[in-house]
Amino acid sequence: MQKLDRRIFLSALVLFAASAANSPRVNAQTTAPASFKVKHIIGLQAVQHNTKGLATVSKDALTFTSGPTKSDLAISGIEDVQTGVDSQRLIGGTIGTLTMVAPYGSGRFLSLFREKIDTLTIEYRDTNGGLHGAIFTLPKGQASALKAQLVAAGAKASPVPAQEAAKP
Amino acid sequence: MNRQTRSRTLSSLVFTIFALVAYLAFSRPTAQAAQASTATPPTPMHASALQVLQIQAEDVKLPAEFQMAMYEHVMEEVGKTRRFEHLYRDGDRDAANAPDLVTLRCTATGFKQGSAEKRQVTTVSGKTSIKVHLLFTDKDGQKLFENDVEGKVQFLGENLRATFDFGKKVAAVVRQDFAPTKSAKKS
Repeated sequence: MQKLDRRIFLSALVLFAASAANSPRVNAQTTAPASFKVKHIIGLQAVQHNTKGLATVSKDALTFTSGPTKSDLAISGIEDVQTGVDSQRLIGGTIGTLTMVAPYGSGRFLSLFREKIDTLTIEYRDTNGGLHGAIFTLPKGQASALKAQLVAAGAKASPVPAQEAAKP
Repeated sequence: MNRQTRSRTLSSLVFTIFALVAYLAFSRPTAQAAQASTATPPTPMHASALQVLQIQAEDVKLPAEFQMAMYEHVMEEVGKTRRFEHLYRDGDRDAANAPDLVTLRCTATGFKQGSAEKRQVTTVSGKTSIKVHLLFTDKDGQKLFENDVEGKVQFLGENLRATFDFGKKVAAVVRQDFAPTKSAKKS
């Protein structure tokens, strides 16, 4: 009887974990938020590397805001927008690095817990014609939505979101 | 031939072989050094401006985020070397007015996307590496010198960290082959 209870409990746990893992993906596909939680990796002027913030697409600019820091990127200067996929450790940053020296290989064990993320690469020109590349990471499934908003606002991109959606 | 003469002959033969091996061992690095000196200038060069062109990856499938991150890191790291008064980006209209402009063309020749998870768990596998050929030319397009560098991440960090390592290596080449300027500005 105890074995049966344990099996039921484990099955329920697996079902709960599966539904929890699936739910953000469904939300991301159905609703396109007005602003996106992003992490700026590199490329925006006057914004430090690896800064978390909000990206908002308006009529003529992509605005990145992080506390008092604000950076605008003119839509007309965007030459290409590309999406990609990557993964990162669930426990990152300084704490993540410190866990590498944790005893009994526990740091390595924690390295196994990773989350999938999207990358968004924006190739743009400044007012003088100089080439720049801004790279952001977003939660999985959100890069395409942000790219679609940028394209709708007039940014050039290859391939366009409609062609990407047609891919199997 | 008595025993003494035979032993002398044998010892002189051994000495000759040893001397020959020693000569070959020491002469090889000298030849390599001579070859290397043709690739890089013997004395640091002087130039007031450098324009970095977009990273080319025609024969290599390089993801867009790597390509642009490499470019941005090169601009940042070369800017820190303070070897040029002006550092121009690809397409910058002001570059045409620079009198002694040097152009840097970077062509990716190899890319291996490793796995951060493998690196963190095993330490010895999962390396990410980007091999790039650097070509420095003058304003007329004449070759000044060329070099090959490899950006990699072997232990700590995510895959994109290889682009930072690449930027550092390009900056090291610039630092070695160009003389510092008094006032350096970043365009």
